Amino acid sequence: MRTFYVTLKYIAVTLWSMFVIAPFLWALSTSFKDFNSVTSGATYIPWVDFEPTLEGWRVLLRSPAQGGVNIVEPYLNSIFVTCFASLISIALGTLAAYALSRFTFKAGFIRNDDITFFFISQRIMPPVVLAIPFFIMLGKLGLLDTLFGLVMVYVVLLMPIAVWIMVDFFNKVPIEIDETALIDGCNPYQAFYKVVLPNSIPGMVVAGLFCMIFGWTDFFFAFILTFTEVQLLPVAIVSLNSSITPWWSLSAAALVSVAPLIVVAFIVERYLSKGNLSGALK
Amino acid sequence: MAQIKLQNIAHSYNANAKDKKYALKPFDMTWVDGGRYAILGPSGCGKSTMLNIMSGIVTPSEGRLLFDGVDVTEKTTSERNIAQVFQFPVIYGTMTVHDNLAFPLVCRGYDKSFIKAKVSEVAEALSLESFLTQSARKLTADQKQLISLGRGLVRDNVAAVLMDEPLTVIDPDLKFRLRRKLKEINQKYKSTLIYVTHDQNEAMTFAENIIVMDDGEIVQIGSPAELFDRPKTTFVGYFIGAPAMNFFGCEAINSNVINFNGTEIATTTDLSGVKNKDLKLGIRSEYIQFSDSIGENTILASIQSVDDWGNHKLVTADFDGNIIKIKVKRETEVPTDKVFLTLPAQHCCIYNNEILL
Repeated sequence: MRTFYVTLKYIAVTLWSMFVIAPFLWALSTSFKDFNSVTSGATYIPWVDFEPTLEGWRVLLRSPAQGGVNIVEPYLNSIFVTCFASLISIALGTLAAYALSRFTFKAGFIRNDDITFFFISQRIMPPVVLAIPFFIMLGKLGLLDTLFGLVMVYVVLLMPIAVWIMVDFFNKVPIEIDETALIDGCNPYQAFYKVVLPNSIPGMVVAGLFCMIFGWTDFFFAFILTFTEVQLLPVAIVSLNSSITPWWSLSAAALVSVAPLIVVAFIVERYLSKGNLSGALK
Repeated sequence: MAQIKLQNIAHSYNANAKDKKYALKPFDMTWVDGGRYAILGPSGCGKSTMLNIMSGIVTPSEGRLLFDGVDVTEKTTSERNIAQVFQFPVIYGTMTVHDNLAFPLVCRGYDKSFIKAKVSEVAEALSLESFLTQSARKLTADQKQLISLGRGLVRDNVAAVLMDEPLTVIDPDLKFRLRRKLKEINQKYKSTLIYVTHDQNEAMTFAENIIVMDDGEIVQIGSPAELFDRPKTTFVGYFIGAPAMNFFGCEAINSNVINFNGTEIATTTDLSGVKNKDLKLGIRSEYIQFSDSIGENTILASIQSVDDWGNHKLVTADFDGNIIKIKVKRETEVPTDKVFLTLPAQHCCIYNNEILL
């Protein structure tokens, strides 16, 4: 009976893995195909069903003048904007969340929970509602089509996620740990950065992962708030498209764009499996 | 180390409200330097509030707190140089055991050689020396609690070590060993230990003096024997001892004799000035004796049940509607029907309005 269940488990895991991996394998295979291999029915095995070509990948490195779309610069731009916006969001979000978790705020009928909800409510609005105000504000500041402008907008978008995750995390951190640090001789600021902060790294890692995913995959604001000077990866990938859809280079670009998130997920997973994300306090 | 004086201290969590409710009612108290105290009382009686006032986590809404005569009421927790161990072990999970123990000294800027020597000394006292390089997170709950305690002991001049139900998470056999260790530490370091608990056995076996609290008030301060023999209120009588003290309605007849359900019972209490005749007689089940015949301070009761508690028997008897609990040695032969019970005069406590006369 036990063997039966183990077999069943393995079958389920295998099926699920195939379901998850299949799109990636398909994209990988397509990225090595040419026009004919893509349009003349389904082909699967390289050198047997179709003759592999690097054309799809070369397009990503050629300049527009050579008939390609160079994604190296948008790629670096995306890394810069996502990393900086995530770091700032985590830094500010952690401070805000700590205050919301540890101190009592009262303003009329507004309490801590209402303030936390206010942060999250920024994400409830459809992005298009924010597009025009952001466009006008960045325009007035001369920050349209700049990396700095994008970082600012992304901080606004990512910080609610950081606050939300970190408030929940800090609420689970016993207040006694702060009190113990005070008793041991820290002032409130030292208690925060010497004791609470190192213990909060697991929460910050999770919040950072979410910020990076949301920041990295955003197309809407990257598209609205940039023109010619600055381009982010999602916009560059979309600009690959033309009257004849270049499935091969789109597939290659999709794989390249998803790679950093996979790397980050693996790092976090390793961190998770070391047990660093649980039992940090007690 | 210091003498800690609480002067007219009181605390209310809604001090500015009209219907102000005290978590701790106004009281005075002095903790003698080097003493071993237990604060005992039911949940919500104000034990932890008192501890938090002393450590500075809570600022009292009334009164002053003096350490060796110096007013520290407004001083921050870190300025008070006090140690506190909480119910659950609080360790710095990202640090090693050594760094946890060293943390209070690092925060106060002691030099490295002093820190090293002090940490080694305390680790040895707490049997933690073989774990010093390990991550504190990987230790067992009781070892973690020892770290919490150790952080309090590394400082030489700590005013007092406050412990808020520190052995709750510890296994019973280890509890016993840790309590002994705490006593040893008290003797070795001469530090004042204040131990909050709701477990009377813990309090009785640990402390030289027990402070019993109820509903934000100190009800009685005394040694375990005093609390057991002469509870100042019926609450203490109920709270201390297993089973609780026997209490019966009675009436004063003359200067030291009461009428308990028609039987005259002599006591050692002076009842001459008592106007209220409606009193209570309290006597521990341990002090009631079986007798062969009627005599002084003897009543005739009928046996209801006998429970075997392993090391003794608990006999329940009925005396005209008054249920009496008697604790006897397990080898004692208990009659099956009627029994003469003697209530020794020196163990009869008389209560007027729930307060010992």
